[in-house]
Amino acid sequence: MTPRGRFDLLDGLAELNGWAPSIAIVSGECNEGHSAIAMLADFTVATDGSSISAHGGPSIPVKDYAKSGDLDLIVADEAQAIQATRRYLELYLHPVITEFEIAQDALQIADLIPENRRRPYDMRGVMNALVDKDSALELAPAWGRSMLTALARIAGRAVGIYANQPKSPLAGAIDAAAADKAARFVELCDAYELPIVSLIDNPGYMVGPKAEREGIARHHARPLAALHHRSVPLYAVQIRKAYGLGPYAMSGWGSAQRMPDLRLAWPSVESGGMSLEGAAYLVKRKEIHAAKNSADAMAIRDAYAEKMRDANSGLRAGRSYQFDDVIAPNETRPRLIAMLQRLPLRDMHPTAADGGVKKHTIDLR
Amino acid sequence: MSNDLIDKLSRAKKQQYDTARADIVTRINTSGKMTARQRVDALLDADSAVEYGSIAAQTEEGEWIAEAGGVDFVGTIGSHPVITSSTDYTDHGGGYGAGRLGRLFALAYEHRWPLVLFVDGGGSRAQHPRAGLGHVELSGPIGRFSFLDGLPELSGWVPSVAIVSGPSFAGHASLAGFSDFLISTPGSAIGMGGPPMVEAALGQRMSPNELAGAEMHEHGGGIDLLVDDEIAAIGAAKRFLDFYHHRKTNSIPPAEVDLDTLSDDYDMHDVISGLVDANSFFELRPNYARNLITGFARIEGVTIGLLANQPRVRDGAIDHAAAIKISRFVEMCNTYEYPMVSLIDTPGCETSWQDKDDVRVLPGLTRWHTRVLLAHQQRTVPLMSVQLHRAGGLAGALMTGVSSTRGVPLIKLGWPNVDIGMRDGFAAVVDHDAFDDIIAPGETRERITRLIKLLDTSKPAPTNKKHRIDSW
Repeated sequence: MTPRGRFDLLDGLAELNGWAPSIAIVSGECNEGHSAIAMLADFTVATDGSSISAHGGPSIPVKDYAKSGDLDLIVADEAQAIQATRRYLELYLHPVITEFEIAQDALQIADLIPENRRRPYDMRGVMNALVDKDSALELAPAWGRSMLTALARIAGRAVGIYANQPKSPLAGAIDAAAADKAARFVELCDAYELPIVSLIDNPGYMVGPKAEREGIARHHARPLAALHHRSVPLYAVQIRKAYGLGPYAMSGWGSAQRMPDLRLAWPSVESGGMSLEGAAYLVKRKEIHAAKNSADAMAIRDAYAEKMRDANSGLRAGRSYQFDDVIAPNETRPRLIAMLQRLPLRDMHPTAADGGVKKHTIDLR
Repeated sequence: MSNDLIDKLSRAKKQQYDTARADIVTRINTSGKMTARQRVDALLDADSAVEYGSIAAQTEEGEWIAEAGGVDFVGTIGSHPVITSSTDYTDHGGGYGAGRLGRLFALAYEHRWPLVLFVDGGGSRAQHPRAGLGHVELSGPIGRFSFLDGLPELSGWVPSVAIVSGPSFAGHASLAGFSDFLISTPGSAIGMGGPPMVEAALGQRMSPNELAGAEMHEHGGGIDLLVDDEIAAIGAAKRFLDFYHHRKTNSIPPAEVDLDTLSDDYDMHDVISGLVDANSFFELRPNYARNLITGFARIEGVTIGLLANQPRVRDGAIDHAAAIKISRFVEMCNTYEYPMVSLIDTPGCETSWQDKDDVRVLPGLTRWHTRVLLAHQQRTVPLMSVQLHRAGGLAGALMTGVSSTRGVPLIKLGWPNVDIGMRDGFAAVVDHDAFDDIIAPGETRERITRLIKLLDTSKPAPTNKKHRIDSW
């Protein structure tokens, strides 16, 4: 069939990727060519109970697609799907609005971090306290659950936020799915000209035989490459753990060319080539293996970790210029607002006629 | 200048050569491996090497010692410049100054020289968190890149090859994972966290190879090629770069394969043999997603990228692994400026879903599949397609890109038993506009050759980087 005008259906969607947002809503049975449309859109929403199939084969529930990162959001019904679509598009169409409210626990944000440094917490709470009240639209919550990605507003300015989730099965460690999710999100923000805020608390990339089988040695490079090729600003907030290559994946920390535009840390920060307990284990390995029982072994490890923790504490980290500043948690929002207000308010999405060019595609996976 | 100074320099330099550590060299060689310097000698043209950072290392006490943790060179392969760096796992776990790598990346960037990195090593050490990869660490990058942003910038700009012939973890594995073409040897390992870290984090004690073995990666897609030993790895690196440096060599006739009399259960490898110059096919990721074949070859001496379904495996269906393999390969051919040939015979796209303890394989699409369309959409190198038989569902589009006003294949050929659903192949040409011509299989090479001759394959690569090559 000859396409009318410039594009055929699928190459049109492929060409629009990274140039103009495309949203697909799946409500009901989606098959054949329709499933290709659903899989090509930047943002795919499905209503609960819908399914996807091809070649007359059995249909697959959308919740499976959501778990594997093949669609972004499942909502109860079509009205909610339309509402989610509107919220998504409004962030793109109106990057700056003047009416907003601060979140209820914005000033008590420090209380969301447990005093016991080993206790996990829900990063969603921290994110929601930082951004404008009820402004966060989380993307792909069912996929790569150790990584949160959301579009939101800070003082009315649309931003992309990605964050580690300490309260996840991997305790925030970045496995292949989390790396893919972060890479795709950075490309999305860059294509849509959304400044990026990164909330960091992770023990590094995931290690172990399962992670290696999934190809983490390859996948780990994807967020790093996406960060390197971005041109939107990135503000990094280091909350607790900054181990191994973790902060690099979350901000481009350690690069020479695309440094984060601001590197903030909270006083709870701890950093090192690997987790303090891990490093202590390796340094004291012989003594630990020789210990009478596991309690003794852990005591040896923890005592040494504690010693190293002091050397890597937030205040020292600030002095060594690993961060641009170490601040109290409730100062974070004002700092981010100050940076965001300094961004030029140019035409962010010039048309082709106005000389706009597509920066790059947004990788679908 | 005083002769003393020159003598002192000469003595210091002597310390770093293999002759200064005969016992270690013997140990490495008797284990079947090569030293860092021996590998570089085998890679580069004789007398072409210019060493960078050649001064020997110093201990904290100021004593000169052999710096074998890593050696860096600019040299040539077949008189084309390349940059190479070689680590040595026997010395400080192969760790050395990350700042030196930044220096090499800057040279590669400025001059557009390909990189060949030998990267076995264990990353940074526990006692020195954040101290980088080495015992003689330099503070900060030298030049425009750090060790982490050099490879992403070079991706799509110059080819990068990594050879892992031992345990490679953390920072070293990162360099391997970023590379365009990753070669490894049996018994080697490539992983983000080495055995000590896994023991510390998960309490599991495993050997490097059990944890992240090259053999596992060969089937999982984590490496591009598994070869017998370091000499074979160096040979593969040279072959990979030969396609890049020599876009046109002498034409060699293909192997004797009668394409007109193929059986129904034919092997796509036979078709490839019958089309390309004899012995020119160089397969990438051969044991990952074997239902889809990718590799470089020559037709009439011209370098091409070859993409083909393999009906002998999974009936040639495109599952998500095959889709991953296509995307990365199309990106590679596009940035290397290789014309592509696509041989199509596939029933369609396929997905797998975890259903309790079972994996259900069903026809269907995922974003891994549609992502292939994005890779084709930004492809500007020409593609010639030959549909042997089937091209079910969207699978045909994954093999050629969506055929439309943008990115039309240079030619779309079909064989006489081509299946486009309800019509026969002849009808397809007449009223469906699906093919430019239906030809006898035996005519295929001649058709492709004539078109390749029209292309200006001597054309240098564009001045601007098109895009990066995805690491996955």
